[in-house]
Amino acid sequence: MSKPHVIIIGAGFTGVATAHDLALRGFDVTVVERGPFVNGTSGRTHGLLHSGGRYCVNDQESAIECIDENIILRKIVPQVIEPNGGLFVALDESDLAYAERFAKGCEECHIPYEKLSGEQALKLEPNLNPAVKLAYSIPDGTFDPLRLALAFAATAKSNGAKFHLYTEVTGLLLDGKGNVTGVKVWKRATGEKEEMHADVVVNATGAWAGQITEMAGANVPVKPTPGVMVAYDQRLVNRAINRLCKPSDGDIIVPQRRLAVVGTTSFDAEDVNYIPVFKDQVQLMLERGAELVPAIRRAKQRGAFMASRPLVGSGTSGRSIARTFKCFDHKESDNVDCFVTITGGKATTLRMMAEKTADVVCHKLGISTECVTKETPLLSYREFYALPN
Amino acid sequence: MSETKWNVTLLIYRQKGSQSPHYDTFKLEVDPDEYVLDAVERVWAFHDRSLTFAHACHHSTCGACGMRVNDMEKLTCIVPIRDVTADGGTLKIEPLRNFPVISDLAVNMASLYAHMEQVGHRAVLPLSEEPSEPGVRPVAKAAEDDYIRLADCIECGLCISACPISAASAPYLGPAVLAGAQQHGLDGNSDLLALVDCAEGMWRCHQAFECTEVCPSNVEPGLKIMQLRQAAMRQRIKHLFGSKK
Amino acid sequence: MLKNTNSPSSSNWWKWFDIRGRAAGDVAFMLNRITALGLVLYLAMHLVALGQLALGPGAYDTFVQIVKHPVFIAFELLVVAAGIYHGLNGIRIGLVAFFGDTATVQKQIFYAMLAISILGSLFFGIRMFTA
Repeated sequence: MSKPHVIIIGAGFTGVATAHDLALRGFDVTVVERGPFVNGTSGRTHGLLHSGGRYCVNDQESAIECIDENIILRKIVPQVIEPNGGLFVALDESDLAYAERFAKGCEECHIPYEKLSGEQALKLEPNLNPAVKLAYSIPDGTFDPLRLALAFAATAKSNGAKFHLYTEVTGLLLDGKGNVTGVKVWKRATGEKEEMHADVVVNATGAWAGQITEMAGANVPVKPTPGVMVAYDQRLVNRAINRLCKPSDGDIIVPQRRLAVVGTTSFDAEDVNYIPVFKDQVQLMLERGAELVPAIRRAKQRGAFMASRPLVGSGTSGRSIARTFKCFDHKESDNVDCFVTITGGKATTLRMMAEKTADVVCHKLGISTECVTKETPLLSYREFYALPN
Repeated sequence: MSETKWNVTLLIYRQKGSQSPHYDTFKLEVDPDEYVLDAVERVWAFHDRSLTFAHACHHSTCGACGMRVNDMEKLTCIVPIRDVTADGGTLKIEPLRNFPVISDLAVNMASLYAHMEQVGHRAVLPLSEEPSEPGVRPVAKAAEDDYIRLADCIECGLCISACPISAASAPYLGPAVLAGAQQHGLDGNSDLLALVDCAEGMWRCHQAFECTEVCPSNVEPGLKIMQLRQAAMRQRIKHLFGSKK
Repeated sequence: MLKNTNSPSSSNWWKWFDIRGRAAGDVAFMLNRITALGLVLYLAMHLVALGQLALGPGAYDTFVQIVKHPVFIAFELLVVAAGIYHGLNGIRIGLVAFFGDTATVQKQIFYAMLAISILGSLFFGIRMFTA
């Protein structure tokens, strides 16, 4: 019996992780992506490997997903991670008031934490605001966005998955009854058009999910919600530094190589393809970042960029929508078969999102297989290019 | 905060399929503090969806967005427009050299990645082995071993594009790879030595130092190649005087 | 995969000699190659000229007339300049390759040696044209 063929639209984190999972489960996998790897939201993450601390008070489902996946990723792909932990830092009375809820949240979400005095925190991170009153140490980390994706892609490729970059889906192939049978693609590198058939099409386009589902007359409640990040050209801290407060603008600084990245904001956007960098938001990042690490004022801005989170749900305020993910089987939601959308979520939970998506695909095809991605170490990200096509 | 707008002309290299390459012109109103990559992305988003270019992180950690801007290698996500042109000026944008072109501004970096793997360059390593620049000491020297960081080299390929030897000689390993090999040192590593101590390895370099000039990540590949040569000479002298390594 | 026509090739050979946008070390390399070619050409001509001298005293007199001509002296000055530059840059290359972290000051050494080459050429030029 030949292997069932799955086409995955999108080579962001969800696309490559799903390709990896399905390839291990014995599927014939093809990934089509209109640009290069992680050129959308995924590439532009500040790279925080979440411990879940940020969500342990208000969104505990997300927090637990984060800590579980944090531990798994450290095991299966250490080659792309700076595993140096993180701090939640209290600078004023309002932060201190949050401390008890934070500690309780960590307990409830089984996030390992350690309470530190202001002096202890300053010893670990000398560039912190000297007014730091109290800090909690939690197992945050930093990952390299492109190389994390390439590691998944390399492993998937070694198990037979095919990747077509610069290949844009322009439409879905439908049978007479409105079910999906494949994709129509525009190969942007050559200008050619082609049709590809599949048993199941997985829409892993994140913030663009709605544009793809429209092609089948279906809907997903994805709300593209951009935010700004600003990178400064000095490695001022060795750990992720979080403000001890509920999620808000400019509440985190993430180190990576010789950089420190401050993020982020949250607002609505119409056009997902290009969001300009708003200077007032950049200024806000500088102000908020300098509250945590005053030396940022003396550092030079190296980059400033915007990325659109794919928030799931049709609530009003961006930050109050849960950050967890959802997998839609369009047979159930829109009576369009052989079509699955996975969206929402965050980078840290990519493997879990893929597991759930692969489970849905298997269920649809009546195949019963185990997910083994929790224990499977990934290949070196460079193997994607070393392996023959 | 000024809201200055500049009018710039983008002259972008296009190459598709079997057609011969040409340049397309786009006139754009830009904020001079925006980055060159932002302008390229806007051309794609609003003027020509067939434009093919590589990018990912937009903050100089992935190495994907290298291009030639006005005949110089740049990592376009961190180069403000005001650094490379003026109001009314032109931005000529071309793909990196010495890599095969996939289409337009996107090149195939497979050979670089494959070689970096061959020389065993470590993507993550202790802070003590690759400290951040002097004057910024986020930790005491004694504690540097406790931290792991991503290596400086982001495999962006700018150095290989700028290297005159890579232009002339396809088999030359190139600055990034040789600098990557230097990360290990050569002591007792005869496999690595064989790979880099050869005609198309460290000895092909003619010290043009274009690599160091264009590197956006403080790698200083030129210096590293010289250090590699000194290490190789030390090995050869040891060998000459009877050491059995 | 397409050939990268953005790279130097036979159709844009002149780009090898364009110093715009090139770093100091790259210019040093280019000049090293040009002076090397010049010196090799000079060596070849020198051997041919010496070969002529084996043809007797008449040939020697003709030879001396040629080399006293100002145009010829100008060419010889180019050879002297090339020799000075090539020798000094050779020393720079040796230092940078084999002595510690000299590579970190290779630009400064290049500028210094370029200056010495120009001064040296001026000095010899004056001597050669006023002798």
